[in-house]
Amino acid sequence: MPARLLQRQISLLEYLTSADAIFGEGIDAPPVPHLRGFDLAPLRLEACFSHEKRMEKIIAAFPRTFELLGDDQATVVRDFVAACPSVDISRIENARQFYDFVCGRWEAAPPQPPYLRDVAACELAIANLRMRGKAQLPPPVATEPARRFRRNFDAVFLPCTYDIRSIFEGHTSEGHASEAQASETPARRDVMLAILIPPDNDQPAIFEVPASVYGLLAELGTWTDRAALGPMEGLDELISDLADHGLLEVTSEAGH
Amino acid sequence: MILRRPIPAVGIGYRSAIGDWTRDNLAHFDMLEITVDHCLSSGESVASEIFDLVGQIPMTAHGIGLSIGTDVPLDLAYLDRVAAIDERLQAPAYSEHLAFTRAPGRDLANLLPLPKTEEVAEGIIAKVRLVQSRIPVPFLLENISYLFEWPESRMTDVEFLNLICRETDAGLLLDVENLYLNAHNHGFDPHAFLNDLPAGIVKEVHVAGGVTVHRDFLARPLLADSHSHPVPDGALDLLDRVLVRHKPDAIVLERDDRLQEFDEILADVRRIRARVDAVQSENGHASALVATSD
Repeated sequence: MPARLLQRQISLLEYLTSADAIFGEGIDAPPVPHLRGFDLAPLRLEACFSHEKRMEKIIAAFPRTFELLGDDQATVVRDFVAACPSVDISRIENARQFYDFVCGRWEAAPPQPPYLRDVAACELAIANLRMRGKAQLPPPVATEPARRFRRNFDAVFLPCTYDIRSIFEGHTSEGHASEAQASETPARRDVMLAILIPPDNDQPAIFEVPASVYGLLAELGTWTDRAALGPMEGLDELISDLADHGLLEVTSEAGH
Repeated sequence: MILRRPIPAVGIGYRSAIGDWTRDNLAHFDMLEITVDHCLSSGESVASEIFDLVGQIPMTAHGIGLSIGTDVPLDLAYLDRVAAIDERLQAPAYSEHLAFTRAPGRDLANLLPLPKTEEVAEGIIAKVRLVQSRIPVPFLLENISYLFEWPESRMTDVEFLNLICRETDAGLLLDVENLYLNAHNHGFDPHAFLNDLPAGIVKEVHVAGGVTVHRDFLARPLLADSHSHPVPDGALDLLDRVLVRHKPDAIVLERDDRLQEFDEILADVRRIRARVDAVQSENGHASALVATSD
């Protein structure tokens, strides 16, 4: 009795997403019984096209990660294909799938260069921000002190063990580092980075957030009255600065 | 607001990567084709950019995420979301590919052919009827380009399409580039395909330009539907033939790669319009205008 169409479709997709089909491993071996009778050469081409399309999506999300992977790129991609077949059409889901894969890999063997984990995490955060788009924050209050404020929930706070900001500075729009900056090695130090799309820009930006400021932001998960924070030297200036960077939503309206 | 567009309207598939350019150049197009899945899953900013175009230019709705050919029940929640997008776009039609892209546990994100048999057609017919019952605008099926054939296929491409469209009254979104390269890759006569289509069944047309692919494991080079280059003259010749026997509402240029080659895109739009004008002049009727209320 012929197999149900669904079973054959599953078998076909398993083959088309396999390393065998994509990289030509075992091309002379017949695929699974459900696929007898297919011409393997066009199937391989289909597999290659689909793989290339998927990797385009992933590389677009992780341009610096791939650049830094260097000679390991091919091995990482091959292992990724073997471990993580495509399960979703969307760019961001494929990016998340790749990120989860490399994180698992780097648990077993630390990445080279060692700041790669931070770079990948930062690029995933940027991809998420680009996907969500710019939040419509109320404009910062300029002329009078902000009366109420809360943390911008679209901002991503990323604790890193390397200050990787230099990796993301001075890149062209295609995401390639200039030669000088590509050779710059990030300093090893624990740093909290904030990634967000600032009010005056359409592109994600990365800021360092000092520990004390992060502590304040962490407490501002709900609308908070200025008065509740008590007298503190420089607080109004800090709030204004954080609002300018898009890290705080502020309003001059009183709370209820 | 009344938007007027000629018949057939000539436009492009909207791509957010060149959204700014598209908005700055709306005057070059009679309409835009919106991929509903971009509204559903590319983020709020892309969706709002698209919805902001409502009232500025007529739009038709196209899908890539239905996977009507997967041998499982249709995702009704997805269809309802598509219906809502269609309504918001004021789209006069919704089109999808006669293909499958996924099966439980895998999503290739690439359009794959179905076995062309009566049994498979029956399953598709039932699903098309279900789509028609959930989405109030006319449903169009698109012929895909395909690289491989199922060994159990017993019907030709046109027989398979005709059977499904006849039984469901679905219209056809004819992709002439797909026809052009399928004919080349699989060795059939594209004119015979066109002759076998019932007159008037083609409601919309896709045109695009692809590449020739050379790989060491292929017996011969194949044409691929990469949507990356100017439309080949051979595909435009097929468009001429289509326009003689059909009155499509829209002709859409698809472009997904080398998107910054704006001059190529605009040149292709002009080439398509020139073909339309030539066929209409030969047939002795001027381009009609249709009003779309907003």
